[in-house]
Amino acid sequence: MIGRTFPRGGGEIPHRKEATENKSIVVFGAPPEVVIPLKQHIGACCEPAVAVGDHVKMGQPIGEARQFVCTPVHASVSGEVIAVEERPLPDGGKSPAVVIKNDGNDQLYKEYKPRDYEEMSPEEIRRAVKEAGIVGMGGAGFPTHIKLDPPTVIDTVLINGAECEPYLTCDHRLMLERAPEMVEGLLAMIKASGAETGIICIEANKLDAVEVVRQAISGHDNLSVEVLQVRYPQGAEKQLIKAVLNREVPSGCLPCETCCIVQNVHTAIAVSEALKGKPSFERVVTVSGGAVLDPRNVLVRIGTPIEDLFNFCGGLIGEPAAIVAGGPMTGPPVAELGGPVIKCSSGFLALRENEVGFDQNRPCLRCSRCVEVCPMGLTPNLLGELSSKGYYRKAEQLGLLDCIECGLCSYTCPSKRSLVTWIKDGKAGLAKEKAS
Amino acid sequence: MLKTGPYLRSSLTIEQVMVDVLIALIPALIAGVIFFGRQALWIVFLSTLTAILTGAVLLRAPFNLRGILGDGSAAVTGLLLGLILPSTAAWWVPVVGSFLAISLIKLAFGGLGYNIFNPALGARAILLLAFTSQLVKFAVPFDTITAATPLLSSRTFSWPLLWGNVGGSIGETSVIAILLGGFYLLYKGHINWRIPIGYVGSAFVLALLWGLDPWFTITTGGLLFAAVFMATDMVTSPVTFGGQLVFGVGCGILTIFIRQYTSFPEGVTFAVLIMNALAPLIESVTIPIPFGVGLARETRLKGIAAAGAALLVAVGALVWIDNTQPALTPILSHGQHLPIADWLGTSDFESLDFEGSRFYVTWNEEEKPAKAVYLAEQGGFNGPIRFLLVLDQEQNITDLRILDHREDPGLGELITKPEFLDQFVGKNKHNELALGEDIEAVSGATISSRSFTTGVKRALENFELAFFPQEEILEWADGTYFGSADSFGGKLEVEVSVSEGVIASVLVTGHSDTPGISDGAFEKIPERIVALGASKVDAVSGATVSSEAIMKAVQNALEKAGTPLSEGVMAYSIPPDGTYRGQGTGFGGELSLEAVVKEGRLAEIVIVESSETPAIADGALDQLLPAIIEAQGPVDAVSGATKTSGAVLEALDDALVKEEGQ
Ligand code: SF4
Ligand code: SF4
Repeated sequence: MIGRTFPRGGGEIPHRKEATENKSIVVFGAPPEVVIPLKQHIGACCEPAVAVGDHVKMGQPIGEARQFVCTPVHASVSGEVIAVEERPLPDGGKSPAVVIKNDGNDQLYKEYKPRDYEEMSPEEIRRAVKEAGIVGMGGAGFPTHIKLDPPTVIDTVLINGAECEPYLTCDHRLMLERAPEMVEGLLAMIKASGAETGIICIEANKLDAVEVVRQAISGHDNLSVEVLQVRYPQGAEKQLIKAVLNREVPSGCLPCETCCIVQNVHTAIAVSEALKGKPSFERVVTVSGGAVLDPRNVLVRIGTPIEDLFNFCGGLIGEPAAIVAGGPMTGPPVAELGGPVIKCSSGFLALRENEVGFDQNRPCLRCSRCVEVCPMGLTPNLLGELSSKGYYRKAEQLGLLDCIECGLCSYTCPSKRSLVTWIKDGKAGLAKEKAS
Repeated sequence: MLKTGPYLRSSLTIEQVMVDVLIALIPALIAGVIFFGRQALWIVFLSTLTAILTGAVLLRAPFNLRGILGDGSAAVTGLLLGLILPSTAAWWVPVVGSFLAISLIKLAFGGLGYNIFNPALGARAILLLAFTSQLVKFAVPFDTITAATPLLSSRTFSWPLLWGNVGGSIGETSVIAILLGGFYLLYKGHINWRIPIGYVGSAFVLALLWGLDPWFTITTGGLLFAAVFMATDMVTSPVTFGGQLVFGVGCGILTIFIRQYTSFPEGVTFAVLIMNALAPLIESVTIPIPFGVGLARETRLKGIAAAGAALLVAVGALVWIDNTQPALTPILSHGQHLPIADWLGTSDFESLDFEGSRFYVTWNEEEKPAKAVYLAEQGGFNGPIRFLLVLDQEQNITDLRILDHREDPGLGELITKPEFLDQFVGKNKHNELALGEDIEAVSGATISSRSFTTGVKRALENFELAFFPQEEILEWADGTYFGSADSFGGKLEVEVSVSEGVIASVLVTGHSDTPGISDGAFEKIPERIVALGASKVDAVSGATVSSEAIMKAVQNALEKAGTPLSEGVMAYSIPPDGTYRGQGTGFGGELSLEAVVKEGRLAEIVIVESSETPAIADGALDQLLPAIIEAQGPVDAVSGATKTSGAVLEALDDALVKEEGQ
């Protein structure tokens, strides 16, 4: 086995990346209508900055960030605002959204003008990032400008190119096709956060990307590439830091406690774009799964309905057994095919019966496999049991809140118990109990 | 309702796990059938079938193959149970066992995943307690006779233990087959190394500390089978890593303790069941430290240090127990240290072997045993009972213990308890040791009690024979005598020749006893009689009737030689030729007589002076005197003339003893 990895738990899961990993990214122009939610990130919702009937240009801010943990959103097409209202999010939630009717002109709000990060102060870089509305594009959606201004001293910025979720290949393709941009973004983030070094972490099943990135960083002594063992969940922040830096993020703390920050590949590219004034209004999404006729990575505008995206990839073969936003291990189900692509959507999967598995909740054999694979060193069988019975406090004592919801316990369980679902419910239940 | 993630699931299912366990048990099953024959297959078949059917009926499974087989866990339980039964068990033993395993120990607790105890072991425990004799007799491989497990008959490792070519439960004997299955399960990830290694490792180390043969310890008594297939049962062992290690180590330690201190020679059944009961507790104190909690490395180091310290304390305690309480010396291990020196009060003792028994003795000035430890054996209910007696100078029993026995666990084994054994302390050869009077039998184990009591009595007699051979030396007139007695097949005749006053040879001249069976007696008894110079010797076991007959016939012959040889009656020691005078007190007054010794024999008795009533005395003397001469010793008084008879005997005593003293 090549490369480092994290020491506890983890396991091998199928990759299923063949369908898309060798296909170049294709551009999906713009749909006739986009729905841009005002909350696409962790934190507070934006205030709408436009009203029905307004004409907006591509890249124009349409939601303003008034709170600290918040980030603006931008129009992804030019056209007329036809509605500002509650719209469904892909995961079944709801958010106020701005609906824009595309005029097809793609009129830019502001011309892009390249700027060299070396001439900018950390302050300026962070402002540019904030104004571009950049959030973690790996799936978490945490506002990037906040991450770049942590309360602790930072020495290292890690770029997470592990992409350990099955099916997903957008980061892989981006590294192959846009490595120089990623490196520029990384360098800008190193400067913005006051760090010294940057490490690009790539799982050993993407050696072609390792090659390309190595070339892209030549000449930068403070940058390096770390090849990591293929092991799930290698891409989880805490496991990545442990594997690469051998630092253990304390329970209940953010990674900055260990003097480093982790950024996604796509986020780094978005930062480099932000430097020249391009806001975050489009992204690359993996569209895959056995029920998709022509799986591929698509550069798509934020706000594009998921249905359109699938249709762009040849449409669905029959009724899929599950449609998932993000990777199959951690991603939520897509409740609404009409829901939009948002900034942290890394992929959309339409899966057929023969490639999925579901909860069966047969009796626990106490086989200890879930304990063995849990990368957080928890006892998922007990957490699940306690959570499902409403003993949230007890579960908390056993580390309920440490669970990173990687899904590996449920994956491994021979009884197919809904361990992760119970644990998620348990977390929600605990929060409610604490609030009251 | 949307199905929740994760959307990928491993292909592993409960059925797959169960099928793999069944596959892993196949080598052990094959070994069992090779060594114990078709009977083994029959037992396993019955237990498996009963388990499957019991599960299907109680769970009201749909009536088709899939439904009846269910998740396969019942089949696993049934197969496991079959493999831990002896092939000699009656047909109903696996049936009852499997039924109990599934209904009582598994389903009554809530079914798969909820049972506290390992169903197969639980069932064996019940069978062991309820039908002991069905479970403690094992077939000898390739044969139809039965024997105890090697645990009872041997103490050291030998190669057949590796192949399994020894007596034992069907699937438990072959180390190789068990390991094959174990590696398969490890490879499949259904078990991990912690429990088996913890189990076998701790048993090994403990055996080493205890002075047992560690290789023998781990290869016998189903220990390995339990370590690989029973203790690793997922449902009844902890899910935490630390817990699994503790669980395994606990099983190992308990097994050895149970083997050493109780009469359950295999020990694993109850060891694992006890640990099953403790598993939830162990689990709750070994919840792993989550990622990012505390300084993991330091905590781990502290943990290791604490575990090491605990181990040291445990070992220390063990050594201390071993040194301070010799009374706890294990019953089942005569291969190991017995505190002989403590019993004898000195390490300067001699060991002697006599008639196949071993004695450890110290001597007094008279060159008689001052103290002795006697290792003896007696046939019991199920097989020999080996025991030892500690005797003092007066041959009083000061201590005794049973080293090894095959009495039934539960009742028969109670004879090893101090409540029973202590009754013998202080007893000696003069005691009748009558059951019910001197010795209270263990209730429910009368046969074992009687066997053992007889054994002690015989041991005391043998001891006497070995070290105090007939204090008064018997002498007979030289010559050849013929005697006979009734034996098994009819009249048995002997020819006894006496030379220089002692028995020179004994020949059995005729008998109609079954050849073969009695041969031992014809060989040994004459030898023993000649060696001891007495007609009363140890019977040859298995040929008691013939032995007794030979002794009676010899006695009969010697009676003709002139000396009655009944117990407690002594012959006179005859002084050199001459005439001796003696006196006694009779009914009327003094009586004096002269005894004439000719050619080493009492030849004539002449009454010199008497004040007895002539009418009574004369008749009596006419009877008495020839009888005395015939017997060459005292005889019973003549009825109606007791006083006179007494006077004669007293005077004779006076005459002969006085002369001897000069
Ligand atoms: S989902 Fe949570 S409990 Fe399950 S393996 Fe991942 S971290 Fe452990
Ligand atoms: S993996 Fe499933 S069956 Fe095994 S202990 Fe965990 S919850 Fe129970």
